[in-house]
Amino acid sequence: MAEVEKVFISGLHEELAEDRVINEKDLDPEFAKEIRKYGGKNVMTCLQCGNCTGVCPISLKIDYKTRNIIKCCQFGLKKYTLGTRWVCATCYRCYEHCPADLNPAEVMIALRHIAVREGIVPPFVKIAATNLVKYGQSVKPDPEIDKIRVELGLKPVHADQERLTAVVREIQTLVHATKYDKLIGIQEEVKL
Amino acid sequence: MNSYLYFFGCVIPNRYPGVEYAVRWVTGKNGFDMDVKECDEFSCCPVPGIFYSTDKDTWLLLAARNLVLAQPDRRDILTVCNGCFASLLKATEYLQEPKNMGKVNRILAQVGKKYTGIPVRSEGRRRIFEPVKVRHYIEVMANDLGIDEIAKRTKHPLKNLRVAVHYGCHYLRPTERTQIEDPNDPVLLDKIVEACGAVSVDYEDKHDCCGAGGGVRSHVVDLANSLTQDKCRNISAAEADCIVTGCPFCLLQFDNAQRSFAKDGIPVMHVSQLQALAMGIDPISLGFDTHHVSAHSLLRKIRGS
Repeated sequence: MAEVEKVFISGLHEELAEDRVINEKDLDPEFAKEIRKYGGKNVMTCLQCGNCTGVCPISLKIDYKTRNIIKCCQFGLKKYTLGTRWVCATCYRCYEHCPADLNPAEVMIALRHIAVREGIVPPFVKIAATNLVKYGQSVKPDPEIDKIRVELGLKPVHADQERLTAVVREIQTLVHATKYDKLIGIQEEVKL
Repeated sequence: MNSYLYFFGCVIPNRYPGVEYAVRWVTGKNGFDMDVKECDEFSCCPVPGIFYSTDKDTWLLLAARNLVLAQPDRRDILTVCNGCFASLLKATEYLQEPKNMGKVNRILAQVGKKYTGIPVRSEGRRRIFEPVKVRHYIEVMANDLGIDEIAKRTKHPLKNLRVAVHYGCHYLRPTERTQIEDPNDPVLLDKIVEACGAVSVDYEDKHDCCGAGGGVRSHVVDLANSLTQDKCRNISAAEADCIVTGCPFCLLQFDNAQRSFAKDGIPVMHVSQLQALAMGIDPISLGFDTHHVSAHSLLRKIRGS
């Protein structure tokens, strides 16, 4: 677990503790606006009550505290929120318990949108998106499982190749239309 | 009786085919003989931890494409996975906004599709539409069929079987507007388990997250497993024989994570598999071979009871 903290908590506390002073050049006054653009509510309404941290299953485990992330969002301390955004399980317990109706999980999702647009795309996102444009599903079909399917009397996952080609074509058209292929970096998989 | 469309998603067909078989069996002729149809044009829901997290426009578009497929037959989409359920339900809510619907339909036109929802009545010359209905397997079983009906059809009550139920976050908190039941005190899965003749044991932190969702399993597997370990510790303390969940991704997490911290582990299954067992299916059809935690001793206990 120590390894997890080192890698994924990107020094939120370390750096804050070491610096003590928050450097003005690290403050992004547009950050709260940017979060709203991607579907997060106004982080300025956060009361810093800490309910979200109290009910967060991840906060119990590692040094990731929902309230601190929201505080950083309020300040516009973009760089401190960089490493933490993908450890949220989106269980929405924080939303359930938020007296300010803020929905911190949606803020994390907005932070992920921002990260991806800054070119930080986790490999598993690329893998799932590639599977989607290739097989129409995010999980890669497994020939061993297909054998078991047939034994059970089920059809193989892609029994109808023609249908699969048509579905995949539709998906690729849609993914290309929103430029998602370019955003995630899977252009070469989209063959239209 | 309502009519439905199967929506199995990605994890069930590609990792746990036994769950697909169980669902088809329970809803089919040997089971409750429900009106459920196939649709082989469905794609990934798409998975909220990836697509809803990185680009909501693409997520909504791909979800709308799936919803459109349910329009012609006016059937409810029967999801068997919490992720599919939350993703598609959330999409129907987004599409209630005329602005979102317009934006989606402009792009969907490129593939010859249009999301309207399902027409319910006319007011003068205006037709009134309702969003496509997205349903969860547990809720359909408990509300549409009824717990009494499930109990009535239990041929082999799973007596003395101690079950730890795990609802999964996205069954309890699917969206901001909709909830199936009280997320702090859900009862439907417990009731289904009890209708199968088993005992649903109470355990500490019963409604905690399995740890897998939102990309955590894919991103930091150790962190996800450590959450699962806590849950399994509490489940062991309650002396449960198995874990029953309504979500294949939670199933996958419990099933895989236990390899990292337990020698034998607690068998995990989907609620449909438990139902099928209680209704007298041959366990060989339930594909327990694809589960990492062996279910052999559990099945022996069930047969003995």
